[in-house]
Amino acid sequence: MSNASKILLDIRHLSVAVGDVQSKTPLIRDVSLHVKARETLAIVGESGSGKTLSFLAALGIAPNNVKVTAGEVLFEGDDLTKLNPNELRARRGTAISMVFQDPLSALNPVFSIGTQIIEVLRAHLPMTHAQARARAIELLERVHIPDPHRRVDDYPHQFSGGMRQRALIAMAIALEPKVLIADEPTTALDVTVQAQVLELLSQLREETGMALVLITHDLGLVARHADRVAVFYAGSVVEQAGVQDLFHEPRHPYTVSLFRTIPRLDSPANTALTPIVGQPPNLAQLPEGCPFAPRCYLVKPDCGSAQVKLVDTTNKEHLSACHYWPEVHPES
Amino acid sequence: MTTSFEQQRLDRQARRKETLRRFTGHPSLMIGTVILLLLVAVALAAPWLAPYSPTRTSLVNTLQDASWTHPLGTDQFGRDVLSRLIHGTRVSLLVAFWVVTLSLVIGTIIGGIAGFLGGWIDRGINVVNDILMAFPGFLLALAIVATQGSSLESVIIAVSIAYTPRVTAVMRSVALTIRPRPFIEASRSIGMTSTRILFRHVIPNALPPVIVVATLSAASAILAEAGLSFLGLGVRPPIPTWGNIIADGQASITTNPLISISSGLCIAAMVIALNLIGDGLRDALDPQMRRQTAKIL
Amino acid sequence: MFVHVGRTLLRLIVTGVGIVSVAFFLMRAIPGDPAAYMLGDYATKESISALRAKLGLDQPVWRQYTLFLGNAVTGNLGTSVVTGQPALQEVMASIPSSAILAISGLLIAILIGLPLGIVCAVRQGTWIDVGVMLGALAGISFPVFWMGLAAILIFSYWIPIFPALGSSNAKDILTQIHHLILPALVLGISIAAYIARLTRSAMLEVLSQDYIRVARAMGVSERRIIFKLALRNAMVPILAVIGVTFAWSFGNAILIEAVFSRPGLGSMLLKAILARDYQLVQAGVLILAFMVVLINASLDLTYTLIDPRLKAS
Repeated sequence: MSNASKILLDIRHLSVAVGDVQSKTPLIRDVSLHVKARETLAIVGESGSGKTLSFLAALGIAPNNVKVTAGEVLFEGDDLTKLNPNELRARRGTAISMVFQDPLSALNPVFSIGTQIIEVLRAHLPMTHAQARARAIELLERVHIPDPHRRVDDYPHQFSGGMRQRALIAMAIALEPKVLIADEPTTALDVTVQAQVLELLSQLREETGMALVLITHDLGLVARHADRVAVFYAGSVVEQAGVQDLFHEPRHPYTVSLFRTIPRLDSPANTALTPIVGQPPNLAQLPEGCPFAPRCYLVKPDCGSAQVKLVDTTNKEHLSACHYWPEVHPES
Repeated sequence: MTTSFEQQRLDRQARRKETLRRFTGHPSLMIGTVILLLLVAVALAAPWLAPYSPTRTSLVNTLQDASWTHPLGTDQFGRDVLSRLIHGTRVSLLVAFWVVTLSLVIGTIIGGIAGFLGGWIDRGINVVNDILMAFPGFLLALAIVATQGSSLESVIIAVSIAYTPRVTAVMRSVALTIRPRPFIEASRSIGMTSTRILFRHVIPNALPPVIVVATLSAASAILAEAGLSFLGLGVRPPIPTWGNIIADGQASITTNPLISISSGLCIAAMVIALNLIGDGLRDALDPQMRRQTAKIL
Repeated sequence: MFVHVGRTLLRLIVTGVGIVSVAFFLMRAIPGDPAAYMLGDYATKESISALRAKLGLDQPVWRQYTLFLGNAVTGNLGTSVVTGQPALQEVMASIPSSAILAISGLLIAILIGLPLGIVCAVRQGTWIDVGVMLGALAGISFPVFWMGLAAILIFSYWIPIFPALGSSNAKDILTQIHHLILPALVLGISIAAYIARLTRSAMLEVLSQDYIRVARAMGVSERRIIFKLALRNAMVPILAVIGVTFAWSFGNAILIEAVFSRPGLGSMLLKAILARDYQLVQAGVLILAFMVVLINASLDLTYTLIDPRLKAS
């Protein structure tokens, strides 16, 4: 792990809410995390936990009535939440890029892959069409799409699933962003293709020095590819640590419960699966205090009124939102 | 712990409540329904509501302006315009009702058979349907009325024939999407006959979009009837229909514009109501439509 | 690609035959004797049987059908009982006037409806959206002939700027256009209402798609997104609507031509129906249906140019 690495993206106490003046429902509460150059930060959580929305809001592309209510998003000295739409737009794709989940729906069906990449290039750089096209072919080559000279004019429906994801990645790195956010990049793909895509992402990270944010619910992926991990629950970060620390010494009941739900090869046959009791929370009706309290196996009387905040645990790199973190034991 | 039957019943109740809420929460749907109900009330109460008989002529009182005795004036035969408008509601509603009913019944069955059974039955029905849809609806109705003579019955038949193909087409395409689903295969494997599957599973699942199309067809049907009557090919005087009242008022449009204007507003009111209902149904049922087609037995 | 063209042509031919057949059976569907119908209530027995023989109505039905088909293919659609001229000739002569009206109406409709629909989609929920959509609702709900009458009332009598007559025999183009404006506007506005509604919903659908989100995430400008990336996707359903409304406006041509006393296919058809000139009616309906089918078929072919996914199939 590079300790002298620069912090590229620094999200501080970000809060995001949806709704109009009368009824605002908080979706993201006081989220703080950062990504350093050349590292992979994994964002883990259930659907609806806010992991994707945090970044959408940070980039200014959240749905219409979702707004940032507090906090800052620092990138290269600018606070993204304070920029006007045009300035923000100039940074999207060039400074920070996002790759979405489903490659088929993420590509415009009526334009060729080349045209779409060219569109992105020319939105930011003063290139001629010919120059942009040449660059597009280069990019397709970089993501290992065979026969790029011909493929650049093909349409998305003519690509296989894995190749579509590569094409999306090509589009995302076209402007050499410093931070690449990959939202569930492999969920829609076969297992073998998953490995290839992640290999590609790691390789690109090495070559360009960019930071990779991997949003996923697949803990196996996290174990293999992440340097650091942030765990989301109900719109807040409940634990943040280096990947080794997180897996060996989780310091939040939610994280532990997550690990318990994964069946292990070394457990005896017929062991029952242990789901997390209760229902995922309704963000509009969160209880006071710790949002995980209703489902927590370690819950204490004052959890219902405690202020939720990330605190240092065994070292400054390992943060947990649980006040009783010393009592959180991983299953041996 | 509740039994699975209990749970299913509670689920169904919850779903019904949800659907009702989605209907009442939709402003344009409610407005459209209210307007339509008002018009139905007017039609039903016509004989008592109208101040005069719609066919009572008076050679003395022709082309009167609006007054207390004749709120909308009289036409060139001295007939009270307001009374004629009120009675005209009946014709329009009758046309709407029959067109919806006929097109729903015929279109659903034929479209369902075509989409569900497939093969050459489907191809045959499809060819005929496409040909019928190739004619603009109004034109087809016009051609049919031209050969069958002008009367309320022939208008209803003509318009129904003109607008049923749309319903058939929608029904067919929905049936086509339902046919390959696993639950159909499951039904067959327990020995259900095709007919039973068609009526018990395919058609209920297809009803929401079909009802939307039928409602919107009713709107077109009323406009078509108005157009036909306006041209003199539809319902003939002295039976009052909003279309032929507009025609009556055309000659005196500069002196008594109220005749044509008011009847046009009536037509618009009913068509707007039907459009609002159709659009509203489509919005209200949309997510439900997808869920309903996923929900099976 | 050629397979697609071939298939469209085949469909065209089949539909064409179908239309001709429908027109044929329409005439045979007249209750009672078509010849008596055509000659009216005061016809003599001799004239009726003479007409029957002339029209070949005394032949068995299948023979009549093949005769009719054969004649139709060679362009012989009978003779007008009223004018004595070949029906096909009469029909073709009436087309240009209607075509001018329909095309100008459509152009006006696209120029008004398409941009309004886009604006409403982009500014969804704002007052512009609500206002325009209410207007569009009115536009599709008021009978088009009523709108024509209202237009005449307002713009020919109260504020006399346009003539009430929908056409003129004057030689110069300007006068002709002057007479064309009101009917074309009325037709155009009624079609624009449909186009606006459908453009709006098509654009809304497209703008909610993932690939638009991706384009935004990549920093493409909103203008580019709307007018290039989104619009192209919305074009297929929009074109389909334009095709349908064009066909539908042919039906409305009759009404507009009646209101504005404008010559054309519609008013010719109407006169023929009222005069029981049935061969002419038959010919008119046939040609009209053919034109609609032709327009739809050519639209079908243009879809492949827009949506590359269709080329593959």
